[in-house]
Amino acid sequence: MSDQGIKSRPKYQPIAPEPAGRHHLLVVEGAEVPGGALAEGVSPAAFEVWTVAHRSAVPGAPVMEEAAGAVRTFRSVPHLLGALQERLARERMGLRLYGAGTEPFVWDVFGIAQAAGLGRQETGFAHVGTQARRIFCVHCRAVTENVSTSIVTCSGCGASLFVRDHFSRRLAAFMGVQVDAEVPGEVPEAEELYA
Amino acid sequence: MTLQFKPSETFRDTFTYAKTAEDILRFPFPFPEDEYMYSVNIEPHVKGGPTAAFQAVFDIDEHYVAECRERAKVLAEDPKRCQVLPHMMAAEWDTLELIMESLAADYPEHFTLTKAGDLWTWVNRPLGLQQSFTFGKAETLPCPPFEFITRQAQGDFTLQDQREDNLFVDGGMVTTQADWSLEFDIGMTFHEWHGPVPLAHEKGVFDRALKYLMRLQCGQPVRRLNWTMTVNPRLDTSPENYPVWGPDKATVTPENVAEKVHLRVELQTLFRLPRSNAILFGIRCYLTSVADIARVPKWRRRLHRVLRDLHPDIIGYKGLPRYRQMVIDHLAPFDDGVPTSRGIAPDTDTLDAAR
Repeated sequence: MSDQGIKSRPKYQPIAPEPAGRHHLLVVEGAEVPGGALAEGVSPAAFEVWTVAHRSAVPGAPVMEEAAGAVRTFRSVPHLLGALQERLARERMGLRLYGAGTEPFVWDVFGIAQAAGLGRQETGFAHVGTQARRIFCVHCRAVTENVSTSIVTCSGCGASLFVRDHFSRRLAAFMGVQVDAEVPGEVPEAEELYA
Repeated sequence: MTLQFKPSETFRDTFTYAKTAEDILRFPFPFPEDEYMYSVNIEPHVKGGPTAAFQAVFDIDEHYVAECRERAKVLAEDPKRCQVLPHMMAAEWDTLELIMESLAADYPEHFTLTKAGDLWTWVNRPLGLQQSFTFGKAETLPCPPFEFITRQAQGDFTLQDQREDNLFVDGGMVTTQADWSLEFDIGMTFHEWHGPVPLAHEKGVFDRALKYLMRLQCGQPVRRLNWTMTVNPRLDTSPENYPVWGPDKATVTPENVAEKVHLRVELQTLFRLPRSNAILFGIRCYLTSVADIARVPKWRRRLHRVLRDLHPDIIGYKGLPRYRQMVIDHLAPFDDGVPTSRGIAPDTDTLDAAR
């Protein structure tokens, strides 16, 4: 059941600077560029890197720092994403944006890139870390985070949701569909699938 | 022939929807052969065809007024069933123009469009509407142009933007759908929004269909038929409301199967739009009960054979497992094994007695 054969599920590749790019910005979800995020032989020094320290005592740094090899540290993921919006709003052609982290993180980055006018060819993403999923309840639109099982209780409406492989990049989430809609109460046992 | 609209028929709760004999015979029956498998079954959308449903650019039938009322109800309950991304405004106007001009040309007794430069006046007699507006100025309409005109058409519509060698579903009016969600799928590429469909990816159907559609020319629309089955004549079988309509599936019995189970056909049409270069995708839904299909000898034989021999993955994807066997058992006594003619035409202009 872990591969339902649905083709909207994203595929990922290790990150390498795209040759046509003028400048390469890599944003990651943790304090360092995670092992396995970059293609073999690619150095983090090829990118301007934004990291997340997950602590408060981090001094500010300019949003438009451009040099490859520069590292800017943020206090939290929302802190980084907010700065990314500002940065992309001021960018010129030729920027390539890369993201490495969990699936909700990289597709939140993609959403910000798309809103700023970057096309899919100007972005690249690596999925590293937990396989846990963000689930969008198609019935009540609530989001349930960090789901590792085949069936989960919706955080919004309480329905028992089957986790479909159907993935929306816009919502950065997989679809959850009530598993016992036809015969209420007929809920199969949940399996641990996405650890 | 003059259409007699049935404005009070319902597609939920009381389910008073019913078809006249003419309406049964004009049904776009979806199976040209005795077996069914996914294919790129696309043909030019030209007038004339095996049934009367193919005689207009946008087909209007006796359910027009009631379907527009049902759509208004769905939108009142869930406005997100109509969404268009902001970069698609030119495609919105293209859609309004295409539908208004087509309806006025195909049904002059019901719709009139008059133009004085950019000042247009639209008259929709079945719905009792008259609207003057300036083409290209959204503030002169009571709602955005795509929503304005698709509230006055039968069937769902989506808008596909063409860029990056792909098609993106960047808008839609989706209230009569066979279990897919615009709110979830909006913004997806062609292969992404078809992601859940089984078998067809492996057969290369979507690769070929995408290539074909990217070359679609303005003024040369195409069409195909798709199908599923629905319990009760319910138009809104959305994923959003699955907890509301899902229990219907468990109410089918051998006694009520012929009246309850409906063959749901989508007459899908695709139009290249002139200003935006977007593609308008029409998904016109027709519902006919197994009992009504059984009144046409060719159709009842063929439906029996198609369902009996259907691929297991398609049975699952279309949500048929709970009642498919009951439909087969109901139709089997009426299938005498006689060969059927190719194509979807009913091969009769009268109906057998109900059975």
